Amino acid sequence: METILLTLYVLVWPVIVLAVMSLLVKGFVADWREARREGRTLL
Amino acid sequence: MEDSGSPILSTATVVVLLILFYGITLYVALRIRRKKENADAYMTAGNKVGFGVAAASMTATWIWASSLYASATSGYNYGISGPIHYGLWGALMILFIYPFGRRIRQIAPRAHTLAEIMRARHGSSSQLLLAGSNVVGSIMSLMTNFVAGGALIAMFSPLSFVHGVIAVATGVLLYTFWSGFRASALTDVMQVLAMLLLVGIIIPIIFFAAGFPEAFESGSANLSPEQGNFFSSEAFLNQGAPYIAAVLAYAIGNQTIAQRLFAVREDLIKKTFVTATVGYGAMVIGVGMLGVLALYLGVEPAGGDSNNLVPQMAAEYLPTALIALFLIIIIGALSSTADSDLSALSSIVMADIYGQNIAKRGRANPQTMLFVGRMTMVLATAAAVIVAGLQLDILDMLVLVGALWGALVFPVIASFYWQKVTNRAFVTAVLTALAVFLPVRFDWLPMETAFFAVMVDLLNAVGIGVILGLMAFGFFGLRAGQVTGVLATVISLPLTFGWMHEYTVLSASLVAYAVSTLVCIGMSVRSGASFDFSVISRRVGDFDERRSETDQDAPDDADADDRETAERS
Repeated sequence: METILLTLYVLVWPVIVLAVMSLLVKGFVADWREARREGRTLL
Repeated sequence: MEDSGSPILSTATVVVLLILFYGITLYVALRIRRKKENADAYMTAGNKVGFGVAAASMTATWIWASSLYASATSGYNYGISGPIHYGLWGALMILFIYPFGRRIRQIAPRAHTLAEIMRARHGSSSQLLLAGSNVVGSIMSLMTNFVAGGALIAMFSPLSFVHGVIAVATGVLLYTFWSGFRASALTDVMQVLAMLLLVGIIIPIIFFAAGFPEAFESGSANLSPEQGNFFSSEAFLNQGAPYIAAVLAYAIGNQTIAQRLFAVREDLIKKTFVTATVGYGAMVIGVGMLGVLALYLGVEPAGGDSNNLVPQMAAEYLPTALIALFLIIIIGALSSTADSDLSALSSIVMADIYGQNIAKRGRANPQTMLFVGRMTMVLATAAAVIVAGLQLDILDMLVLVGALWGALVFPVIASFYWQKVTNRAFVTAVLTALAVFLPVRFDWLPMETAFFAVMVDLLNAVGIGVILGLMAFGFFGLRAGQVTGVLATVISLPLTFGWMHEYTVLSASLVAYAVSTLVCIGMSVRSGASFDFSVISRRVGDFDERRSETDQDAPDDADADDRETAERS
């Protein structure tokens, strides 16, 4: 039981990291599309 | 970090990797370069950056090589709760500035630096006090990143430490120089996405390659009872508690976070801060788990230096191709922070020193400002390379600066909310706190004398109350902040009395919080001043737009007390 909990404890962080990464990619694409639609540069 | 023996990668491989990494970053930065750069965009990208770029940039800026190494060290020293006591508090550092950040943007929507707002609120002495602490902190951070880059390259290749420092410094300066914050933010996106992807892949690979989960059972004898306890008090007192004390200080004292606060679109502040908090926390705690795995495996850090743990685990359990990518992750982590430090430094010198103290507001030439900003970057890089070459104990210096920032936290936050805070109260509070901080930090007081020990312990309890009170105030309002502050002081007094003065690093920081708060409140409560916060947004604005305007709303060098007197009348 303890081994399973420790495994989950260590491996949950890469899962969260990948979830945040997908959120940032989605956000970046939305920023880029909005900038294109408005005819301006991203920054 | 010391050279652990034979190099893992060849000189040619590392040189090609560095050229590829900095080459691609430079290419991306040049894509947004403008023939005629705008001074405001160079500092804050026009205050309208979207969620994706802002959240990625904030995450990348807060993650640096030292945080990855330190989290793993914390896991190795304090066991399974160690990475939490490093990464969680570091992540909350971002979150705790959020409520104050909303207030700051509300009263100064077009600001570039916190110090700039302090000038509009109080006057130039408060501004220069805050700007000076920001400059010292940014230069130290820059040096630390160059040192980490030099040490990493020296460990992974036959190249020397000095070669590594020069390569990293040149690479970062090249892509940040032309477009300032805009380049920093855009390249942060690329760097953080690469970092997140690779950490998401590397940790499971090392986990299974090293024989886990079975190694949790076979290696459990390598952990002490405290290291095996998720609720370890040792981990909290030695790692977590001093970090909590630094949480607000770093957020207020570090211009890199403030710069992103001013850059992001105002309606996206909450979303950006929450995402950066989660992203930073997961990444840093995740890498910290390598230290926990090393502890279970009984790994001894090369040369006795725990900073070698992460590279050691990577070198031992990753294939060569992933080791090369791992090197790039760390270079990316330290470069993203270094470019933010350069942008922050240039903004402070452009806005606070040139824009408001050398040229008068409304008369600052944006083109001269850009020149000043770029020259600041060159000089700061050169200075950081020279000092990095001296290989001073930068970590100690950073701890010192972080604690010094503690003296600024209450006066700065109070100045954004409380009309009664005066320039004199602000400056006196900060200088008095520094005067008390130094003898506590450097053991100049005879603590065997009961008077000093009792005084420091009393102030420690007040300091704890101030920190928790400010956090509660930010999220739940004034009454909650006051109640939390008083309760935390009363409860912590018997718990900390008699021993806490022996922890000088933590005590000095808490004393700085306590003294600055007591002096600031004591001097302000009877001041009779009533500052009108709505004037700040008129006094702090774009330099480019104001070039041709009159400065009727921006009194150039109005002394704070004069302004407050005028407003009272």
